[in-house]
Amino acid sequence: MPMYQVKPICGGDIKIDLPTCMYKVPNIHAQQGKSCTPEHALQNGEVDPAVKALEARQDEIMRKLYELKAAVEGLAKTVMTPDADLDLTVSSSLSSQCSTTFKNTTDLDTVLGKDLGALRDIVINANPVQPPLTLLMLHSLLCQHYRVLSTVHVHSSVASVPPQLLSCLGPRHTDSYARHMFQLGFTLIWKDVPKPQMKFSIKNMCPIEGEGNIARFLFKLLAPYPSDPAVATLVDSWVDTAFFQLAEGSVKERSTVLRALNSTLGSNPWLAGPEFSLADVACYCCVLQSGSASSSPANVQRWIKSCENLGHFSHAKLLLK
Amino acid sequence: MALNLTINTSNPPLGALLTAEHVKSSVQVSVEEGKDTRLHISDSVQFSDDNSICRYLARVAPALGLYGSNMMEQTEVDHWLEFSARSLCNQPDLTVALAELDKALSLRTFLVGHALTLADLSVWAALKDHGEWPKQGKSFSHVSRWFFFLSSQVPFTAVGNKYTSKKA
Repeated sequence: MPMYQVKPICGGDIKIDLPTCMYKVPNIHAQQGKSCTPEHALQNGEVDPAVKALEARQDEIMRKLYELKAAVEGLAKTVMTPDADLDLTVSSSLSSQCSTTFKNTTDLDTVLGKDLGALRDIVINANPVQPPLTLLMLHSLLCQHYRVLSTVHVHSSVASVPPQLLSCLGPRHTDSYARHMFQLGFTLIWKDVPKPQMKFSIKNMCPIEGEGNIARFLFKLLAPYPSDPAVATLVDSWVDTAFFQLAEGSVKERSTVLRALNSTLGSNPWLAGPEFSLADVACYCCVLQSGSASSSPANVQRWIKSCENLGHFSHAKLLLK
Repeated sequence: MALNLTINTSNPPLGALLTAEHVKSSVQVSVEEGKDTRLHISDSVQFSDDNSICRYLARVAPALGLYGSNMMEQTEVDHWLEFSARSLCNQPDLTVALAELDKALSLRTFLVGHALTLADLSVWAALKDHGEWPKQGKSFSHVSRWFFFLSSQVPFTAVGNKYTSKKA
């Protein structure tokens, strides 16, 4: 039995007036359990399954869009392919070869090495007194294979530039602000330079001088060089001949080259053998620029025709006028 | 595969000889003396200018990497091949060209990439061949450093002694 009982001294709940002179802090203990658990879960790498499902759905939609885009591009190519109006005097086996020359489009990443998202910008300085026809032609070929953001500028060293040279890279892109939508940048600056210059990836490359060397570079972006060392060297040798003897040489040198062209083209459809190559591009442009196209021998005339039938050259020809 | 390089003895193509000397471990090249410089590959294909011969030899010995290791290096090699043929060979005044070369070599050991390429061979040969180089080269410290670094190595001394003395 209990010894004695004591009544409670005060009633059950007493209201205590807390002082109001201090500032209040929310109770940090009460919510601890709730707020921390999801954060820990994220740190462990677990994602809400709902988010996961949403992401998967988005990826699926993007994949479908890419497929659709590829299909449309493929259709566009078959419709607008330049060899649709190929001249039949060039044998059909030939035309199929030259159309495939550019079809095995090389992937920029594999040719140029991985670049972390930056736009690959090719900057070319050229003198308007001697427009680099080969480069302008290669530019239009590049445009057929890549999304190219092209711009033309005039350097202060040049007083006036003819209007056809200002618009030589085609109309200005409507969405030129969105550089991420393009694969290549092609900036042409009309400048008072002795030789065309190219600046590309200046961190690890010296500026490249000479139209022939720039042309070699641009062409490699379109199609790989011939794998046979002799053919590859033959192409390079024709490129040198075109720029040093046809474009800059004396009348005598020029006629020697035209004779050499004529005898080569007597046995081969193109300069470096059965396939269209950079040699043809360079020599064609230099023959045209030197003004000796009409007075050239028969095989050269025939070859000029077959070059023009490829359809890539019409643009360059317009610029000369 | 045996290649036959005929050289013009009165004007030996130093760059081509130097390249031939470098690739001789992987490709057999016989050098003959004659009147015209010519690399005979087949009856229909022959190369007679220095740069084409260098290019061909570098391409048949791809393991040596004389033509650079990627496309951008190849383009740089092309640039220097043209530079040596157009701005150094047969140019009376070297100052402008040497200044450009000096700038390019200021942060480099070799002209292209981190190894020997055709660019070094052909520019070295053009300078070695040039009568004005010893006089005009003194004030360009980077070019001198690079030139003597290459000159002290075996293929360069061999070719330099054998053919430049003949010309003088």
